[in-house]
Amino acid sequence: MNKKTFLIFTMPSFIMMVFFIAIPLFLVFFQSFHFKQDILEIVEREKCDPFGCKTEILKVPVLDEKGNRSKINIWVGWENYKNILKFVDLNSIIQNNGYSWSAIQSIDFYKALRFTLTFTFITLPFVLIFGLCLALCVNNLVNRLKGPVIFITLLPFIITPVIGSLSIKWLFIGDGIITSFLEYILEKDISVFAKAWSIELLVLFYKIWHTTPFAFVIFYAALQTVDKDRIEAAFVDGANRFQRLRYIVIPHIMPLIVFVTLIHLMDAYRVFDEIVGFSAEGFLNSLQWMTYDFLRLDDSGSRYIGRASATSMLTMIGIVIILIPVLRRVFKEQKEKRN
Amino acid sequence: MESKLFNLSLTLKVIVGISIMLWTFIALFPLLWVLIMSIKLPVDSFAANPLNVIIGPNTLKQVGGLSFINLMFLCLSIYIYFKFFKSRENYFLKINNLTNNKLISFLLLILIFIALFLALFLFLNTHIANFLNNFFEYVPFLKILSKPLIGFTTKHFIAVWAENEFYKQFLNTAFVTLGVVTISLTVGTLAGYALSRSNTMIAFWLLVAALVFRALPHSVLVTGYLELFIDYGLYGKKIAVIILLVAINQPFTIWMLRSFFMNIPQDLDDAAQIDGCNSFQAFWMIIMPLMWPGVITTGLFSFLLAYNDYLVCALLLDGQSQTMVPAIMQYFNMETTMTDLVESIAAAASITLPLFILVMFFQKQIVSGLTQGSVKG
Amino acid sequence: MKKLFILFSVIASFALIGFSSAKACENKNDVPLTSLSAGFDAWKVVTSAMEECGNFTPTLDQDYKDKIVAALDSNPSQYALAGVSASTNVSVLDAGLTRPLDDLIAKHGGALQDNQKVTINGQVMAIAMMTNAQHLFYREDILNDLGIDVPTTYDEVIKAAKIIQNAGVVDYPLGGTFAAGWNLGEEFINMYLGYADTFFDENMPAVNNANGYETLKMLKKLTEYMDPEYLTSDSTYVQQQFQQGKIAMANLWASRAGAMDNAEESSVVGLVKFASAPTTIRGGKPASTLWWDGVVIAKNISDEEAEAAFKLAMVGLDPSNLGESPEAAPWISSAFDPAPSNIGAVMTAKGGAAPYPASAKMSTLHGVLGNTLPDYLTGAATAKATLEKIEADYITAATEKGLL
Repeated sequence: MNKKTFLIFTMPSFIMMVFFIAIPLFLVFFQSFHFKQDILEIVEREKCDPFGCKTEILKVPVLDEKGNRSKINIWVGWENYKNILKFVDLNSIIQNNGYSWSAIQSIDFYKALRFTLTFTFITLPFVLIFGLCLALCVNNLVNRLKGPVIFITLLPFIITPVIGSLSIKWLFIGDGIITSFLEYILEKDISVFAKAWSIELLVLFYKIWHTTPFAFVIFYAALQTVDKDRIEAAFVDGANRFQRLRYIVIPHIMPLIVFVTLIHLMDAYRVFDEIVGFSAEGFLNSLQWMTYDFLRLDDSGSRYIGRASATSMLTMIGIVIILIPVLRRVFKEQKEKRN
Repeated sequence: MESKLFNLSLTLKVIVGISIMLWTFIALFPLLWVLIMSIKLPVDSFAANPLNVIIGPNTLKQVGGLSFINLMFLCLSIYIYFKFFKSRENYFLKINNLTNNKLISFLLLILIFIALFLALFLFLNTHIANFLNNFFEYVPFLKILSKPLIGFTTKHFIAVWAENEFYKQFLNTAFVTLGVVTISLTVGTLAGYALSRSNTMIAFWLLVAALVFRALPHSVLVTGYLELFIDYGLYGKKIAVIILLVAINQPFTIWMLRSFFMNIPQDLDDAAQIDGCNSFQAFWMIIMPLMWPGVITTGLFSFLLAYNDYLVCALLLDGQSQTMVPAIMQYFNMETTMTDLVESIAAAASITLPLFILVMFFQKQIVSGLTQGSVKG
Repeated sequence: MKKLFILFSVIASFALIGFSSAKACENKNDVPLTSLSAGFDAWKVVTSAMEECGNFTPTLDQDYKDKIVAALDSNPSQYALAGVSASTNVSVLDAGLTRPLDDLIAKHGGALQDNQKVTINGQVMAIAMMTNAQHLFYREDILNDLGIDVPTTYDEVIKAAKIIQNAGVVDYPLGGTFAAGWNLGEEFINMYLGYADTFFDENMPAVNNANGYETLKMLKKLTEYMDPEYLTSDSTYVQQQFQQGKIAMANLWASRAGAMDNAEESSVVGLVKFASAPTTIRGGKPASTLWWDGVVIAKNISDEEAEAAFKLAMVGLDPSNLGESPEAAPWISSAFDPAPSNIGAVMTAKGGAAPYPASAKMSTLHGVLGNTLPDYLTGAATAKATLEKIEADYITAATEKGLL
């Protein structure tokens, strides 16, 4: 394919990505060094409501002749980053309490970072192991049952994450059915939504429930391509089932384990819908949730675009760091392909 | 030897059986429970005793329920439906050889399935079953068959879809997903094709950039555009959401479509070009007809992205242009009574139905899509 | 497939709409109009009367305050009418999103009383329709059985809670709208006003003091007698706890009082009684804030729409309509005859509770409070650290907005 055709074909997609991904990224970068504010003025006004009249002196936005607010961007350097990373506070916390995680987590960003990373990395091994076990089990199932089992397995994966979280939340919240059951068995009062750790456990469980099917599908497909002759040969050599799995099957599907890991890291790092679904914002905080929270209108009807941008930049840096090993591998492979 | 090698010992068989049973239970239980809660009156939905939730004594007393006959009909309909599906399943399996002409008959088949679904569940299970219920009521001894056993009410579903006009949100979602799927696929197929046929440095960098973009948390992109969209009057406009979701979806789309295009031998292009086609003709007349499975699969995943999105829709859309997922969360904020709460559960249950049907029809495509991306990715 | 689905759902919905036939309305509305407001009963009373006039779609959303500014800011506005509270009114007003109503009142507003008109420098900007306040709800039967007097101070509330807990007659003696976010912020503000008068020293926050400390201590003491999941417990949740007989006392919104006697949902009809919000200091003012809710009309709509919207609002706020449901809220209206369920709000106001000090500064502080307090209540942060964090976070937020 010649260069001109290539360009014509990729142009729409390229323009899309430049305009709606690259430029926003630049805007976010730019905005993270600014405060976006309404231009304010001090006014004195008399206000009467059902509880009486009073005169108040307030700072209110200046309205132009059309009655609209006008906004300005003020350059503030690293101020937004400082407001999020709070190095000064961090320093004093470390001096007072040593390197205690629970103390450091009183700063929102570190709390969000801690949870995001836990969520990303703790669920990973479970997803991989459960996915593989499930794939092995289904592989050994009677053919007639395989279809229905795959069908059921796909459901948790395909369901809307917010709704999936809700459906699990209802089993546990208040006197939900599983809570009642546990209370009956353990004969004590249980409140899953009262403690940060129990909610966190539930959110982690949800993620494993939601993503295991994905790992399963990939591994199951890969198991179909395992070389049967090699397994037979190993059997003749006296390798037991576990050894066959360890030395033949797992190396065979290794590239796919890497693939599942990559996708899982990307997706789990985005944790957000789970916090909405479990209404866990009082207890947990994730990086993407933090940005969302700054972007939401607060009680006075304004957004904190500056801090949202700074959090976004930090979030992005985080995922790039996580992906560096993977990216390096892609580069190497591409280079080898070329040579 | 083959059989001895691959057959499991009894212990392993038991372990496999138990694990599968446990997993299917865990996978299904939360979803089924939502469904059960949504067809009961609030008192039963939130009863502490699981049996009360399933049988629903209060619902039985106040509204009535399903009798043995109803249950029989329900099982029968499900059986017929799946039987019919099985008999036509080859059609869905062979979707891989789908040509443009067959696409129409394929769509027709889906229509038949929907018609059958409606006939079975809206006619057989309601009118005929009720008629039989009334009939057996007067037959001694057989009366027991028409006695309601399990509490059942569609009240909440009716409240959600009719009184609270949830169909408006459904139409919004339909518009947004349709927009995202068509634009994503149009733009994505072109790029995916070009990328699969090119080995230049630009192609490589484009793919790497797409991979990095794929990893970006969506909030980053929303942050960049939220203020601009609002300043230019795009707040509450579905088109703004479509544009953003297409952009978010683009990296994934081109990677997946590229890997499908890689499966189509380059010789075909060359042959077409020798026959005098230009690149675009070759793409449209020779390659595209072979690409329908890939396009359908990628379309499914684009659909899921748009259908399931909360973040973008919640920030950019307003109450009236809201799609279903944020609207359901809003439902929970609107609720001030127990009935409202069960209604929101019914809303949640009804938006999973399309996904359920999707998996049923497109299981093979979803599986192939997931594996395709991994093998070539 | 999708098209067929749409077709089907549309047909089905039209068929079902047939059920909800509209009642008669004297002034038919022929301009399509929409509104955004909170979702509690009072708004249901008002908007359903307006719906009877046709061409009107209300959006009821308890989180409306997160959306209202963006919705009215777009041009044309997403909604013609909006329901606001004392604090949301300030945000739409400051942003210049609502229009003066004087000429419309002159034309169509004959039934309004003067105390319904919310004015800024003499211009009417909103129409108030009800007052609201958090006050004490209690189970009269339980208190009588255990020989407890109706508590008037928070110390008495805690003493009573202890007795009720020991008697074991309900699951939890107390309920509270302690959900993380706005609700919890409001609880702090109420309690703090029981000890002090002001949250600010000029522009700087002034809650890091003995009063703030006492407020935190008291909030934490209350949570010990609540359902441990109090951080997810909003007004609706507390209302349900009452209705299901799970709690004996709570400080809850006046607008929820009517629901206690709703026979369809409540198992405690006639047993819940109302009193003034408790004080923190004996003989002090009730630890609560007075609110008003009302209607504004968007600026970014045509004058014809505005006129139709105002006429429609007058139908909703008509004294005869509000008079039909006295239990829904303490209305501000000529035909309003207080119901027994309004007594708590009246007593709280008479006791001298302060109006909510609505301003941009206050809203900012309110948001910060709601985000900071959960860590203190769960024990993740100390009282001192929490108060420091509140002030620091406020300064960060206010600086970014340019309020300092």
